[in-house]
Amino acid sequence: MSALAETMAGSRPRTPAARAVAALNHSVVHVFLALVAVIWLVPTLGLLVTSYRPRSDIQATGWWDIVDLRLTLENYRLVLDSQGMLHAFMNTVFIAVPSTLLPLAICSLAAYAFSWVRFPFRDTLFLIVVTFLLVPVQVAFIPLLTLFRDVLPDLDLTGGFVAIWLAHTAFALPFGIFLLRNFFITLPPDMIEAARLDGASDWRVFRQIVIPVSVPAIAAYGIFQFLWVWNDLLMALVFVQDNKNFPMTRAIQNLLSQYGTEWHLLAAGAFLLMVVPLIVFFSLQRYFVQGLLAGSIK
Amino acid sequence: MGLAPTPAVPQERPIRASTKAARRARGPEKSNYGSAILFLLPAGVLLIVFLLYPTLYTILLSFNRGRNGVFGTWVGLDNYTRLFSDPDFLNLGTFPPSGALWNNVLWIIFYTSTVIALGLVISVIAARVRYEALIKAVVFVPMAIAATALAVIWKFVYAPDVNIGLLNALLSVFAISPISWLGDQAVVNAALIAVGVWGSVGFATVILSAAVKSIPNEIIESARVEGASERAVFFRIIIPMVSLPISVLAVTLIVNVIKLFDLIYVMTAGGPGTASRVIAFTMYQQAFQAGQYGYGSAVAVVMLIVLIPIIVFNVRRFRTQAVT
Amino acid sequence: MVRSSRYVAIVALVLFLVSACAPSSQAPSTAAAGSTINVMSLWGGSEQDSFQKVLDAFKTKTGVTATYESIRQDYATTLQTRIASGKPPDIAIIPGIGFLRQFARQGSLKKVGDLGIDANALKPNYPPGILEVGQVDGNQYAIMVKFNSKSTFWYRPDKFKTMSMTPAKDWDSFTKQLADIKAKGQTPLGLGAGDSWTLTDWFEEIYLRQTGGPDKYDQLFSGKLPWTDPTVAATVDAMKAALNDNNVAGGIKAALGRNFTDGIGQAFSTNPTAVLYYEGGFVGGIATGQTNTALKVGDTIDWFDFPANKFSNSVEIGGDVIAAFTTKPGVKEFMQYMTTADAGSVWAGTGAVLSPIKAVPASVYPNDLAKREAAQVSGATAVRFDGSDLLPSGGGDDMGAALQDAIQGKTVDWAKFETAMQAKWKAEK
Repeated sequence: MSALAETMAGSRPRTPAARAVAALNHSVVHVFLALVAVIWLVPTLGLLVTSYRPRSDIQATGWWDIVDLRLTLENYRLVLDSQGMLHAFMNTVFIAVPSTLLPLAICSLAAYAFSWVRFPFRDTLFLIVVTFLLVPVQVAFIPLLTLFRDVLPDLDLTGGFVAIWLAHTAFALPFGIFLLRNFFITLPPDMIEAARLDGASDWRVFRQIVIPVSVPAIAAYGIFQFLWVWNDLLMALVFVQDNKNFPMTRAIQNLLSQYGTEWHLLAAGAFLLMVVPLIVFFSLQRYFVQGLLAGSIK
Repeated sequence: MGLAPTPAVPQERPIRASTKAARRARGPEKSNYGSAILFLLPAGVLLIVFLLYPTLYTILLSFNRGRNGVFGTWVGLDNYTRLFSDPDFLNLGTFPPSGALWNNVLWIIFYTSTVIALGLVISVIAARVRYEALIKAVVFVPMAIAATALAVIWKFVYAPDVNIGLLNALLSVFAISPISWLGDQAVVNAALIAVGVWGSVGFATVILSAAVKSIPNEIIESARVEGASERAVFFRIIIPMVSLPISVLAVTLIVNVIKLFDLIYVMTAGGPGTASRVIAFTMYQQAFQAGQYGYGSAVAVVMLIVLIPIIVFNVRRFRTQAVT
Repeated sequence: MVRSSRYVAIVALVLFLVSACAPSSQAPSTAAAGSTINVMSLWGGSEQDSFQKVLDAFKTKTGVTATYESIRQDYATTLQTRIASGKPPDIAIIPGIGFLRQFARQGSLKKVGDLGIDANALKPNYPPGILEVGQVDGNQYAIMVKFNSKSTFWYRPDKFKTMSMTPAKDWDSFTKQLADIKAKGQTPLGLGAGDSWTLTDWFEEIYLRQTGGPDKYDQLFSGKLPWTDPTVAATVDAMKAALNDNNVAGGIKAALGRNFTDGIGQAFSTNPTAVLYYEGGFVGGIATGQTNTALKVGDTIDWFDFPANKFSNSVEIGGDVIAAFTTKPGVKEFMQYMTTADAGSVWAGTGAVLSPIKAVPASVYPNDLAKREAAQVSGATAVRFDGSDLLPSGGGDDMGAALQDAIQGKTVDWAKFETAMQAKWKAEK
């Protein structure tokens, strides 16, 4: 326990009465945290259990009725197969992977330029990028769709995934450039200077020095972006028009409106959507949190 | 709230770049146009086509009828006057007010304050126990979950049938009749804000926990030595010292409230009626259901305007950092 | 000799060529044969299966493949977004006339005439007033392809028998009957008010047949009569006389969280809690096909005319119209096909819908419920289309929300409602 935690826990109690009060305080802490844990775990667990219960059970009794707990994989089979969730899962992957790799590449390039390449108006341009951090994606929908429809109809961008890849990438740029630039700037200047003195071009400095050293930051950003795209619904509503290409978020939204009370399908569908992010979260928590903190607090 | 909101306010950066070596390393004194263009081109093209051009287009379209998304009849400020006299958007006639914009205000007030308060309390209390990391992880899990999945989880919890919905089942234990959490105008917004809070407290906890831990121990210890109580330590020392991260967090949360869409769309579609709408939902509905592109653009511009103070704040903060 | 045999050969050749080029009556033989079009509508499940039969018959006849795409939710948003991205379906079949107007005025729809179909020639195929439903600003953009009566009130004949009651014929005896049913220990009504459109149907029926009449109905649902007119408030009061905590199984609050299929279940499932349920002709199919397959027409499920009789020979219908977004080969053929008695009979024969085409004989309807429903509509003196579907985009939702408030006892600000509705009418132009 850190010194801070110890001091926050209060100075050592002297008298038995003080000890008792301290013990009570401490058990209040445990009770409170237990309550917190319950509130933050139970809803998700409840849905998880429900996803394994047969449909008739779900409608008759709550999942907390553990007396008659029958489990089945039928819901998952149904949702993956006849409801097309497996297909939607692949679509989510097809959308998320390029929408992560492209921003990673493009943001790294731009961030390097903003950090270690000298050119006029560099800081002003970076300021403009920072401004775009807060532009809501809503301002882009109508103009982009009109552009795709009237100027580029032959490319059929919204018929496939190209439109949403580009849209996700473009909207990821402000945050990605900002994050990576702030990281690149912290690299030791001597390292870069040395390489330059050796005659390395910017491209070589970028590829062989900056990138290898920045893997943790880039990975953190990559994970962050991947989950963001995986979980997105709004961009998919606007930029994916062919229902063969719907990602899981849209597929579940359809399930919800179609079978609003078919919890056996909804529960299984929702968990299929959550599986990958939860795995990523639990295994790569460190990176993920880092990504968040990097943008907010040092 | 689904995934982590993108942090809204850039932080202070160490002033390393001002040393001579650093300046030299940041490129030769003369500008390197070639490199600049090479490295910036992909980002530049995308930003111009997908962000700059659309923003200008939408601003202009908001002064137009915008039929089919193209520039047709000029209508001046008509879309805006219509927007602000539409009771579904903002109705100051009743007390309390109603409308989509008002709902965003409710979210800003209650969601933000509750998330920060809970985040602070949980991080401070969890710091006292050995299983702190576990608690933080548990509370953080909803951040990884899509808003769509959150909506399914909580629609299930809120289900009106006592054999299905957890909350109503709990109420029935106390012999209270079931409440239609998402179907009753009086409670729907509170129910939705609760879900939003549930989803975002983890984010706040992680950030505030790091912030609290960065408070120098000596300050706290010397306060204890001088006999300050727990409460005093909390309110007089901890909170002021994390006021900066709190304000950054608050700004981030507020920005996310303005952009809030997925959760509302999936849980209630703005219902019952239009009771739980928010501005992002209004924009979507006007543009993509009613085909009112000019009007929808006006809503998008209002979103932009509301965010301008924060954009300016951001830019100012960034400017004050030493950059060479 | 040579000349005559050559002459015969030429004649034979000509005859052969002529016969080879003549249209065969067996093989599919339209110019568009082989092309594919896509058709979008709201149905799924058994309704979709029924419609598929029509598509199959179409393919056999013309060689054009029509693929069906189902949009179960928010169909208008899906269509509008597809239009915005330049990828509308070839054909859509939709219930919302307000949306029809929206799409037509945007220029997204093709006029029936632009496809090469003569709208005037279609007139004799339909009863008066039907074609007008699909017209916008005087142009024929869409044609009604199916409908259901909305003036059907569903009930449990067996329970009524036990209570020695017969269905009421006018509104006052109906409200009295509700009290009588309660006195006999049963709860009268099921209600799925979570789907607010069911409340709009209640309103429209009472307005059309009791408090307002066909002419005022037309005016109200075209923006010409303000919602502040006393007939509106009178209708809401009449609704509340039937729909209140006393008469509705489970109470009003619970009804507001219930969707309409569960409302059907309240009267017709294996554990019923009510004896009456109001909604349109499609209830029969859902009740017998989904809710409780053991139901017996005439015994445990049947319908009577909506019990309001001031203007009693007026019937409200809800229907779907077909409209074309493109002029791809095959689109014209499909539109034309859907106006033939052939298509109408195939579809009506499944029992899922009623066909507005006059030439479809009553004998194709597979069961009594459908036959009576068709007779109810054809015997009406005034037929009106579902009001909330006539309102502009968002209007139907607002109306439903206002009625949800009303049955909870909240006061509806009709003046504010009227202002909002007028703004919507104006925006549509």
